[in-house]
Amino acid sequence: MLPFIIYFVAGAVTGFHVYTLLSLAAYGASFNALEFVSLLGSLGLLIAAYVSLFKPVAAARIALIAALAMWCFYGPAVARTIQTRFARPAVVSELIQWSADLRF
Amino acid sequence: MLLPYLAIVALLIATVYSAIASFRQKSEPAEASWTFPAPVTRKTRVILCFVTLICVITIGAWFALSVQHTVRRSSRFLIPEGYTGWVRIEFEVQGAPPLPVDAGQYVLTLGADGSLKTSSLEQYGWANDSYYFYSSAGTRSISDAGPDCLIWGKINGEATGSSGKRKYEEFFVGTQQQFKNQGKSEKYSGP
Repeated sequence: MLPFIIYFVAGAVTGFHVYTLLSLAAYGASFNALEFVSLLGSLGLLIAAYVSLFKPVAAARIALIAALAMWCFYGPAVARTIQTRFARPAVVSELIQWSADLRF
Repeated sequence: MLLPYLAIVALLIATVYSAIASFRQKSEPAEASWTFPAPVTRKTRVILCFVTLICVITIGAWFALSVQHTVRRSSRFLIPEGYTGWVRIEFEVQGAPPLPVDAGQYVLTLGADGSLKTSSLEQYGWANDSYYFYSSAGTRSISDAGPDCLIWGKINGEATGSSGKRKYEEFFVGTQQQFKNQGKSEKYSGP
C-alpha cells in the first residue's frame, strides 16, 4: 500500500496545485507550457499508483519518469523562488514602485 | 500558500521513493518489506478501485458545477483607430450607461482617451474576447496573441478612492516594444 499512497498523494497534490495555477488564466494570468507537462506528470503518478497494486517495479519506473517530467516545471520554479527571495531589496522596491505607478 | 510547498515535498518523496524502488528491484529482487511491499491482495484492489470510482464521480460533478460558474459572456473591445497606450474600463459607476450586448457579446466602445465608464458589473471567468480598432471607415480586428499581438498586460483590479470602491480593467494597446518602454514614460493617467 505504501507505493500507492506515495504516488497517489504526490499525483493528487501536484495535479491540484497545477490546476489552480492554470485556472488563474481565466483572470488574465499568463500560463507556461511546462504547466501542462507537469499536469501530465501528475496523471502519470496517478497511473503509477494503480499500477503499483499489480506491478510495483513497473509502477516505480512509471512514477520516476512522471516525477522527472514534473521537475521540468517545479525545478525552475523552485530555483526562481529561491533567487527572488535572496534578491537585492533595492531591485524589489523599484519593481513594486513601478507596479504601483502602473495601476494608479 | 501551503499547497506549493506540499506539492514540492510530495513530489520529492515520490521521486526519491520511485528511484530507489526502481534500482533496488533491478539489482536485488525478492523479499518484501513494509517499505517495498509485494503486490496487494485482490480484496484491497477491489476496495481501492471502488473508492476511486466514487472519488472520480464526486470530482467530476464538482468540476461540472464549477465550470458553469467560471464561464462568462465574451467582450468585444472597440478601440479608437491608432490609439496606443493604456486603456481603462471602470465598472459599477453610478450614472454611467450599461454595456450594450450585440450578437451575444458585451460591446465596450472606448473613448478617444482610452477610457470607458459603465454601470455594468465586471464579469469574471473564461471567455474569448475580441479586440477591434474603429474609425469612420469601419472596424478592423486586433490580434491579442502571436507575433502581431497588440494587447498586453491585461489586469483587473479594485481601487478605493474618494468616490468609493471602483472595479476596473486595464490593458495596454501597442506593440511589444511599446509595452516594454511604456513603464517610464507613457501610462494611463485618467481619473
